[in-house]
Amino acid sequence: MPEQKTIPFVDLARQFRSIETELTQAFLDVGRSGGYIMGDRLESFERKAADFLGVAHALGVADGSDALFLILKALGIGPGDEVITATNSFIASAWVIVAAGAKPVFADVRDDFNIDPDSVRAAVTPRTRAIIPVHLTGRPAPMDEINAIAQSHGLHVIEDAAQAIGARYHGKRVGGLGIAAGFSLHPLKNLGVYGDGGLITTNDDKLAAHLRKLRNHGLRNRDECELWGFNSRLDTLQAAFAEIKLARLDAWNARCRQIASTYREGLKDFVQVPVDQDWEECVYHNFVIRTEQRDALMAHLKDKGVDTRIHYPIPIHLQDAAKDLGYKAGDFPQAERFAKTMISLPIYPELDDEQVSWVVEAVKSYFA
Amino acid sequence: MTTVHNFLPEQYRQTNQISINHNYLAQQFADHDVILNKIREVVIRGDFTLGAEVDVLEREYAELNGVRHAIGVGSGTDALFLSLKALGIDKGDEVITTPFTFYATIGAIVTAGATPVFVDAGADYNIDASQIEAKITPRTKAIMPVHWSGKPCDMDTIEAIAERHGLAVVSDACHAIKARYKGRPSGSLGTIACFSFHPLKNLNVWGDGGIITTNSDELADKLRLLRNHGLVGRDECRVFAYNSRLDTVQAVVARHLLGKIDHITESRVSHAAYFDQGLRSIPQITVPAREPDIYQVYHLYQILCENRNALQAYLIERGVDAKAHYPVPMHLQPAAAFLGHKAGDFPVTEKISAHTLSLPVHEFITREQQDFVIQLIRDFYA
Repeated sequence: MPEQKTIPFVDLARQFRSIETELTQAFLDVGRSGGYIMGDRLESFERKAADFLGVAHALGVADGSDALFLILKALGIGPGDEVITATNSFIASAWVIVAAGAKPVFADVRDDFNIDPDSVRAAVTPRTRAIIPVHLTGRPAPMDEINAIAQSHGLHVIEDAAQAIGARYHGKRVGGLGIAAGFSLHPLKNLGVYGDGGLITTNDDKLAAHLRKLRNHGLRNRDECELWGFNSRLDTLQAAFAEIKLARLDAWNARCRQIASTYREGLKDFVQVPVDQDWEECVYHNFVIRTEQRDALMAHLKDKGVDTRIHYPIPIHLQDAAKDLGYKAGDFPQAERFAKTMISLPIYPELDDEQVSWVVEAVKSYFA
Repeated sequence: MTTVHNFLPEQYRQTNQISINHNYLAQQFADHDVILNKIREVVIRGDFTLGAEVDVLEREYAELNGVRHAIGVGSGTDALFLSLKALGIDKGDEVITTPFTFYATIGAIVTAGATPVFVDAGADYNIDASQIEAKITPRTKAIMPVHWSGKPCDMDTIEAIAERHGLAVVSDACHAIKARYKGRPSGSLGTIACFSFHPLKNLNVWGDGGIITTNSDELADKLRLLRNHGLVGRDECRVFAYNSRLDTVQAVVARHLLGKIDHITESRVSHAAYFDQGLRSIPQITVPAREPDIYQVYHLYQILCENRNALQAYLIERGVDAKAHYPVPMHLQPAAAFLGHKAGDFPVTEKISAHTLSLPVHEFITREQQDFVIQLIRDFYA
């Protein structure tokens, strides 16, 4: 093997250096304008994001959690209501439901880590108001099936697209496949800013108008407050950075897909690898493999200089925070099995071919 | 934004190009080199979320306020909301506050699930502490005094009432960075104090940001959980909680400006005193009484004036960014309809709302500009 390498799980500095001139100019432009809250630069990013995602409205908010939380509030979902979501997601997916005053009801997932429509169907009760499918790892959830369930029970479908900006489902970008969608612009996301940030998309004009007030103190204008709202705004500076990155997102996502394809081909004989169906375009926020020898393989990769993660080792229904919801180990066997067997490999556009091969060889060498 | 260097009132008056603004951020930004370099370091380190700069700022801010803890959060609004949540305030509870405030005070109470109970303002624009006790019910959980415009409320009275009735005091200190009440820093007033770093606050960042101060270890621990998804470590979630963090890059801005906070504050105090002196003798203007044992930091410089709307329009036409903070009090907002208040319920608040006018007193304002504003006001009433 060639000389030992170190492959960090993320390397944001490399991306930063590749666009530093543009980012610095945006910093200076916004700085000199003296307008740091809302304003033209935010609106410009929102318009471009809406065009890119193929939706009527995109609204910058403070973070990805707030995006989903505000959508639930705007839809009037609260105490007494139930909302179904996947148990293998980041905890924020459940928190937003609790924060809105409703009860999270979990569903199990299929082999591709996305919510299982059969499990969703079984979880529907007369109190269910909405389903939040999570496009986990950047792969679109089974939206046709979820939308069909929602339609037959009169439920809202809210996409948790935090990890999936740019992903396509039957040719359409995620973000316009339900009543509304929440995206995260957290630094580690495929489109990440340099702090907390989020985005809401919707094709519903009335919902968009309501959300614009909810995110900004419920204000109709400077002096009139229509409803008591929140303060959840995407900083103008961050919006300017996001606009610069949005122009490169397709290219970056394509590179992630290429890396994924190399990983898949190189590793499919050794571990379970994610598979792309012909109707979907996963943007590989994470590349998650599965193996019964997870902990040993992780340790081996660490020795080889390959930094890995687990997304996520404890399913939400087994977190301390969920203890009042009445779940127990064994309730969602797929998600629980995956929590013990999965590993996320480094994947980001700046990884070069040599690093990608190193990761492949490092995994293979464990099984040699 | 027009710069105000080499300011020549006569010339600007003729060409109608004068610009005396509340917003001074373009001038503040002129000094961005150090900040940009530090932000670049944060970005290259990838230290975006609750990073080292946030920790240091929290320590410095706690020290500035002589308290044990400071916790950076997403905004001043979130500071208020999370403080109420940390105190366990929820549906069915009541929080006593003033209708003469910014929307966020009431928004935080309502979104926390509680009901705002209003007490009228006094002549100093702050909650009239003598009327608070009459509004206490078995459901009252907290008093939320707003240190409006940077003037601390009558805390001796408020804290005594709170102690008598076992209530928490959540200071809305969003305007009151560096203010003092009988020597006590604003961050030490009440059970918890909440600050905003909104771009136009006395200590600001270049986006949304806020910070909470408290001496309670228990509340500080809760707040640290509440602001970051309830996470203990990366993978363990103790309570389902919010995401409300002060960005590390914004903490860089705050720390830089914290080094200048004495100058920022003293400029405002000095400009305010100059306006007081120049305006007090105008019969149509009421300058609020100033109290010797209170260090007011003038986030806003406000006076009451006859014929406010006309004076405001007159000043704006001549390039002076005069504002009304705020013309419609909270109890008369459409959003407050469910509380059932009507005009006349809070006469002092309503009178202030109808007559208040704010003049810019930030650090970049010059005496020459102030003279110009004073002269304009004299001319208007002449």
